Amino acid sequence: MSLRTTNKATSSVQPGDATAGDCAITLHINGRDYALTVEPRVTLLDALRERLLLTGTKKGCDHGQCGACTVHINGERALACLTLAVMQQGHEITTIEGLAEGNALHPLQQAFIAQDGFQCGFCTPGQIMSAAALVREGRARTDDEIRELMSGNICRCGAYNGIVDAIVAVLEAPDAAV
Amino acid sequence: MKFRHLLTALGVASSGVAITILVALPALRRRIAAAMAGRFALPGKQLDPLSWIQVLPDERIRLLVPKAEMGQGAHTGLAQIAAEELEVPLDRVEVAHASTQQGENKYRGTFGSASIHDLYDPLRRAAATMREMLRAEAALRLGVPPETLVARDGRFETIGRAQRGISYSALVDEKTRWQAPKEPVALKSPDQFKVIGQPLPRVDGRAKVTGQAIFGQDTRVEGVLYGAVVRPPTIEAELLSAQPGQAPTMPGVVTVVIEDGFAGVVAETSAQARAARDAMDVTWTKGRLWQQADLEELVTVGGAHGVTIQRAGNAHSILAQDTTLRAEYRTGMVAHASMETQAALAVAGTSGITVWTSTQAETFTARQVAQALGLNVRQVEVIPTFLGGGFGRKAGDTVVSSAAVEAARLARAAGAPVHVGWERREEFRNGYVRPMTHHKLAARVRGGRIEAVAWQEASGDSVLGFTPHRELVARVVGFDPGATRGAWIYYNIPHRATTVWRRRMPLATGQWRGLGLVPNLFPIESFMDEAAHAAGQDPLHFRLAHLSSDEDGRRMAAVLTAAAERAGWGTTPPAGRARGLACCYYHGTVVAEIAEISLDEVAGRIRLHRVVAAIDCGRVINPHQVRGQVKGCVVMGASSALMEELTVKDGRVVAGGLDEYLLFTMADTPAIDTIILNRPDVKPSGCGEAPIGPLAPAIGNAFYALTGVRLRHLPMTPQRVLAALACRRDDQPLPLDEPMARHRNERNL
Repeated sequence: MSLRTTNKATSSVQPGDATAGDCAITLHINGRDYALTVEPRVTLLDALRERLLLTGTKKGCDHGQCGACTVHINGERALACLTLAVMQQGHEITTIEGLAEGNALHPLQQAFIAQDGFQCGFCTPGQIMSAAALVREGRARTDDEIRELMSGNICRCGAYNGIVDAIVAVLEAPDAAV
Repeated sequence: MKFRHLLTALGVASSGVAITILVALPALRRRIAAAMAGRFALPGKQLDPLSWIQVLPDERIRLLVPKAEMGQGAHTGLAQIAAEELEVPLDRVEVAHASTQQGENKYRGTFGSASIHDLYDPLRRAAATMREMLRAEAALRLGVPPETLVARDGRFETIGRAQRGISYSALVDEKTRWQAPKEPVALKSPDQFKVIGQPLPRVDGRAKVTGQAIFGQDTRVEGVLYGAVVRPPTIEAELLSAQPGQAPTMPGVVTVVIEDGFAGVVAETSAQARAARDAMDVTWTKGRLWQQADLEELVTVGGAHGVTIQRAGNAHSILAQDTTLRAEYRTGMVAHASMETQAALAVAGTSGITVWTSTQAETFTARQVAQALGLNVRQVEVIPTFLGGGFGRKAGDTVVSSAAVEAARLARAAGAPVHVGWERREEFRNGYVRPMTHHKLAARVRGGRIEAVAWQEASGDSVLGFTPHRELVARVVGFDPGATRGAWIYYNIPHRATTVWRRRMPLATGQWRGLGLVPNLFPIESFMDEAAHAAGQDPLHFRLAHLSSDEDGRRMAAVLTAAAERAGWGTTPPAGRARGLACCYYHGTVVAEIAEISLDEVAGRIRLHRVVAAIDCGRVINPHQVRGQVKGCVVMGASSALMEELTVKDGRVVAGGLDEYLLFTMADTPAIDTIILNRPDVKPSGCGEAPIGPLAPAIGNAFYALTGVRLRHLPMTPQRVLAALACRRDDQPLPLDEPMARHRNERNL
């Protein structure tokens, strides 16, 4: 038996009985529509990781304290563990799985590899998603500003300086289309 | 396992064990301590190439390794070693962590910074052997003598005019039965190395930056369910009774499991499982409601059962007559706080069980799962995944309940695959922690030199919890050999005596990065500075003067000098800043670090601006990885030195989340300057732990340089800093610590 690593096909059928109060919703993730039925209290993070098997977005604390679950909602960074799935209908959700264009890595992904911006890699999707939105926000110009505006993304392995180097490399790239 | 090897190697015959041990016990204990301090080489084991190296049909190699990839780059380094001897480019080698049913039962377990050190020779030999097996077959196929073939780029080619060749993949295509020769084969000459020593990118890089890498938390199969387990609310709580309560009626619940000493829920989602678990009727005994002060009283030097682990000369009698310097130190409990919590997926079949989990000790895991399910260990296959941080925490199946065992039990009860992922709160309160320690040092400093030093240490357990027959081993050995890592005094001091007291703490304690290295290096390297100042000498020159004249001493002198030069030691730091220095020896690696700090005296916050680290870990396989480990150790070492402490109140660990137990962020991280002293003539030693040792004392020593005040209790929180400064201001003697109520780390005033 091998692991399931691809996301489930769209399905609104629950194993077992659906409970009264469950909501049938459609989430638009990485350019694709997913139909699912969830309880109102289900977080976007759990919907991604447990219902859709999009496990690239990580759960580090489930309480909005570590940043590992950072995704984009309409291009802005958001913590999926503090976001309810039912509230995301009609929004454009981007996860780490949607950042690369086919085989072509996003400039930040390339930079993280080139600048050693990761060690164990568990916080890495959140770091990259946070960094991508940071670059688009256009507010971080200095090293200190990058660090302050990325300080919501914890890295226990301590790869911080490589992450800053990767972000700087992308900010300074001539045609940084991020 | 290590103990058995040690005892065998020390020549203790089985029949005379009892008598021999009693008679030779004190000397035996000192030899064990010396061995654990890294002055003892265990015999290496050969690897069968056919068990570990697979030539794939598409010009790729699959390398199975018995080591976990947890960010330290072990898979990349090992791939470089294999690729070098196999003459294959690194980007055509894929690495997988062998399951417990793959490969041979050798070199399993990822700890002690030993992955490269242990496997460097055996893996080179195995890869070279495979290369020669392929060469012999290529020679047959091409009808040429084997010595006329050159291995290059995953192929064999003839030398000379008529260019003929055949790829490894083509060779294995036709021949499916191979036999490894018994005679040793020639290894590549190091001056021919093209891959080893190169700063090549991580083999798992692409998977990590795209989110495709599978960690224990990410494992899923068709029909997977999720489990949550009841947790003891206090340290000594034991399960009295468990009833399903409201759980069976709650949404998504598939089954409620109640077994001996174990209770939990299986549901369709993890949130549903947790909600239902919280709705069960569970009662617990309370046990003793430990307070922080109780633990500190327990972990205090003195009394019976102190064991001497290092002795030279007559330190005690000399110091009884004349002690010129005394000091006391404490280190608090610390959490691993890896970004990925414990997690496992179990799939029970008719004849056995498969468990995917992020683990540093897959054989421990398999054994515990087998025991819990009443299976033979051969019926259990543990498949290790990537680890989202290990740091010693993901080897705990024998110390505390593990996600793997929990998932296995729930899967069997539910008759379905079950995934268990620990919550962050469970990670803080129901795992194991780095133990508390207490130290007293005394020395006679005369004429600019330390003539005698006595070190007393009390510590909670580090490795004893992982040892079978824990209390018996504790009684025989007398101390915890993990807790004494870093306690070996390498300085050339004629009279030395180190005495340790093992204090088993009521909550689970265990291995944390470096084991005893951080708790021991803080006192000894702070004390070296205290002695230097007492002698009126510069701390760098004082240390250089106390180094031994052997190879270790020379290597230590080299890293001290290199770090000092790069950091500008001896020149005036920028205004408001000071520098501190510390160094350590760990498993054959030497590191020296200099920290440059400033202080916000109003907030009591130490700001770390820059760390210069010089490291000699023998032959470097990949300088990127070494740099990465140094950087990681600096951040984790500084974070734990300045901010991290787990405290206990009313019988329970207080912190339940990352809002209460603060970690360094990107904004706290200093500039880190790493100097690697590559020593190709020395066997590669590790770099995953050694660099974490010097941070705390370097920061403490810098604080002294800045303020004239000595900090003696880790972590150096704002409260402790302010209390220390107040004592200086009021000219009061500095107490070891202020009363510890609930620990709160204020980040902003």
